[in-house]
Amino acid sequence: MGWYVRSLGKRKIIEFMVLLLFVFFFLGPLLNLTLLAFSGKWQFPAMLPQVWSLEWWSFVLTQEEVLSSISLSFGIATIVTIASIVICIPAAYAFARIRFPLSRWFLFSFLLTNAFPKMGLYVSIAVLFYQVGLMNTLLGVVLIHIVNTLMFMTWIPAAAFKSIHLAQEESARDVGAGPFRVFWHVTLPMALPGILVASIFTFLSSLDEAQGTFLVGIPDFKTMPLVMYSIVEDYPSTAGAVFSIIMTLPTIVLLLAARRFVNADVMSSGFQMK
Amino acid sequence: MNLDKAGALRMKTSTAKSGLSRQTKDSITGLLMVFPSFLLLVFIVILPISLAVRESLLDPNGALSLANYKYLFTDKAMKNNIIFTLNLTVVSTVITLILGYILAIYLRFSKGRISEWIRKLYFIPMFIPAVIATYGIINMYGNHGWLARIVLALGGDSFPRFIYDYNGLLLANLWFNIPFTAMLLSSALAGIPNSLIESARDVGAGKLNLFTKFIVPMTYKTVLVAATFSFMGIIGSFTAPFLIGPNAPQVLGIAMQQSFSIYHDVGIASAMAVFMFLLCSAMGYFYIRSMVKEEPAGR
Repeated sequence: MGWYVRSLGKRKIIEFMVLLLFVFFFLGPLLNLTLLAFSGKWQFPAMLPQVWSLEWWSFVLTQEEVLSSISLSFGIATIVTIASIVICIPAAYAFARIRFPLSRWFLFSFLLTNAFPKMGLYVSIAVLFYQVGLMNTLLGVVLIHIVNTLMFMTWIPAAAFKSIHLAQEESARDVGAGPFRVFWHVTLPMALPGILVASIFTFLSSLDEAQGTFLVGIPDFKTMPLVMYSIVEDYPSTAGAVFSIIMTLPTIVLLLAARRFVNADVMSSGFQMK
Repeated sequence: MNLDKAGALRMKTSTAKSGLSRQTKDSITGLLMVFPSFLLLVFIVILPISLAVRESLLDPNGALSLANYKYLFTDKAMKNNIIFTLNLTVVSTVITLILGYILAIYLRFSKGRISEWIRKLYFIPMFIPAVIATYGIINMYGNHGWLARIVLALGGDSFPRFIYDYNGLLLANLWFNIPFTAMLLSSALAGIPNSLIESARDVGAGKLNLFTKFIVPMTYKTVLVAATFSFMGIIGSFTAPFLIGPNAPQVLGIAMQQSFSIYHDVGIASAMAVFMFLLCSAMGYFYIRSMVKEEPAGR
């Protein structure tokens, strides 16, 4: 073994340690949940499960509450994503392309969604919703999810629109295309990575949202994270691990499907409008 | 001939909307396009924030007073909560920035299979639901968790109580925020051209010099962005402290939720929220100022 290690060189070894540390810290908790989900018996202090089994999967997947929460969460996340796109994309385009009074002021006002502590914001929203009769309604739940998505659904696509060179739109106009055709055939395809990344953020943040839903959606809107909270409290950790995987699966699938577009530049440009 | 046609088209469109200048027309279009999302912002964010500010300034009899804020800064338990939260937030943000920076530098300058793998994997924590991540951390670092088992198997004797206090929250904050910081910074570092770094090396700049004279000045604005969003995310965090935080002192997010739903004291809860909001606004002010400065006036 010694000759092999020496032949790798010090740099490689350090790099390998970095990878180990990275995997341990960031992926360790997730790996642990995966092992836990497929274990039948895993008593302390064994390092790996003693018996592998799928019994908790059949338990979790036959719970009525779990199944309905999955379809409810996906339904809400779809509505939230579509609504956010429809509402925010025009604004994003305007911020990137049109000169209008106070545009900077409007742009940065979306930072307010992050500056006020979420829990406090949800409580105030609940008070407001109570007065206008939005408690325990689908619209109320959708609106409270949109609180989390307004900012990046505006900022990331705005940065994407802005990174397209004006000349490309202008040359399309010069050959006679109308403004809507230019937008549809030139601007939109080029801004698609930004819009896609923002939509994925939106979809996943809606799937993830728990506190706001708890405040305005109880008792009728028990989404996946809310069921997760009760599973954490009431069932053994194996059941929690199984449900964790079910909840994380859409994340992994979406990220794999869009991995061509999800990159550091597209995402971070949204947080520093230049 | 195409140019002529386009010119004619432009003439047609600009004369069709009679009277209005192009600038006014743009202003109206722009405002109309921003209007729906801004209206939504007013209804679900600005109005609730103003309600909370008003609520925090009222005493139980409905009169204007600063009693809630006075309580916040004089009550002993509350004072401890504030100090605990600020300490945790600042320490978490600083460590996040340092480790995120190191990770970003490594990803920028290291070529090879290992860094390629890390580049593929480091996004994942940003997209994992907070409940799941916290649950994973509990199962990993808890008293009978995976780490405890590994330590025992490797010959260690006992595993210290690790989560359910300051350290556990620090760990969770790092887990949630380092990937985002590393993402912002690695995108900023990618913007530094290789040629610039090579030419600096050619004139004899050492690694340290290269770092302090080139890399830091070219990325400090991004560091500010990362600091702003990490700070805002950490100070108001709820999920992780709810599941693995200590009972006392508490993080303000938890204290706020408790004084609202257990003690039904909306005034105190609002005062806490407004206090955190003021701190975040200070961060937000520097962030916006640095963003606006980047571009000359006119937009």
